[in-house]
Amino acid sequence: MPLTKDMVPGLVATGASARVDADVAPKVKPGDTISVRNINPVGHTRLPRYIRGKKGTVDRDHGVFVWPDTAAHGQGETPQRVYSVYFTAQELWGSDYPDNDRLYIDLWDNYIDPA
Amino acid sequence: MSHDHDHGSSMSDTALRVKALESLLSEKGLVDTEAMDELVETYEHKVGPRNGAEVVAKAWTDPAYKDRLLGDATAAIAELGYSGVQGEDMVVVENTPDVHNIVVCTLCSCYPWPTLGLPPVWYKSAPYRSRVVRDPRGVLEEFGVSLPAGKQVRVWDSNAELRYLVLPERPAGTEDMSEEELAGLVTRDSMIGTAVVERPAG
Amino acid sequence: MNGIHDLGGMDGLGPVIREDNEPVFHEEWERRMFALFISAFAGGHFNVDMFRHAIEKMDPVHYLESSYYEHWLAAIEDILIADGSITKAELEARMADLAKEAA
Repeated sequence: MPLTKDMVPGLVATGASARVDADVAPKVKPGDTISVRNINPVGHTRLPRYIRGKKGTVDRDHGVFVWPDTAAHGQGETPQRVYSVYFTAQELWGSDYPDNDRLYIDLWDNYIDPA
Repeated sequence: MSHDHDHGSSMSDTALRVKALESLLSEKGLVDTEAMDELVETYEHKVGPRNGAEVVAKAWTDPAYKDRLLGDATAAIAELGYSGVQGEDMVVVENTPDVHNIVVCTLCSCYPWPTLGLPPVWYKSAPYRSRVVRDPRGVLEEFGVSLPAGKQVRVWDSNAELRYLVLPERPAGTEDMSEEELAGLVTRDSMIGTAVVERPAG
Repeated sequence: MNGIHDLGGMDGLGPVIREDNEPVFHEEWERRMFALFISAFAGGHFNVDMFRHAIEKMDPVHYLESSYYEHWLAAIEDILIADGSITKAELEARMADLAKEAA
């Protein structure tokens, strides 16, 4: 059945959260240092190249979400935690960059390892 | 890819493809034209950065609200009636005298629709997405924002399903302004982080 | 995939061009495309990850030369043809009909 006019306000106001109500133990916690996996999946991934292999610090734990790498291919939700992780500009781009600036990005369990 | 098909009409190839797609899907009962009209009406006229400005102005004038906003942005924004598509899980990041935040989506164009509406073309463009993660200060200069070296820049690449809204600094000289007047100062770009909120002239 | 969409840190893509008082939509077809996307999504034809992946699989030259809503068009076409909702032939035929009507 298609989306009808009367359904629009409800859809707009509710959306479709990718949060999953699943009990997944955190792999790391805020303050921990992590390294990003150097992986090159040929399918869908939300791990951009510029962050792979880099070391960062966990800022916060956002909770459990669908993992796009499998969800994009009809292979299930693979629920796991997502963390906000920051990297220094110098870690990402080298010593010519400001030593105090940071980049924050959200990383799923399957993209990281405790350092 | 060229769009050089000659359909003998004044419509662009793209416009024609979209029209044909809508016509086919509507005929097959997969989409409803009236629902589509309602969606356009909603996002063209009802949802936009005025929503976000209201959130910011309330945070500036109500410290308890600001605490809730920084603690659980989704719930605090919903208190004002804003929620839903592309704002299901919100995070608000606060600018301070020591920190300037700026938001991007390098992989596509993720953006907090309920508070800011649909994104401007530049936000979705390759130049912004490629450059701001590596040279945020250079991009900010182009937007007319010059940051002191001692101020930390935090770039937020919204690659997951969290959506980010910047809480700009409240300008000095606005102590006597009402919440509504303050909301009038808050621009879309200041909530993306490519602008700061200016003190009103005069 | 290591596709053209993964732009973070690249050089040479030019200045950020802004438009004063930018409208929400620039063309009527953008309005329809936006609403088609939401409607097809709500209709359960794909999840957001499938949709993004369909954009990533676009021809890289087309990706860079086309606009945001053209990306959406390419992805929707790709998905709806793949899931059998429409055929490429049907779409081409409908385009030809509409072009004739508009001529």
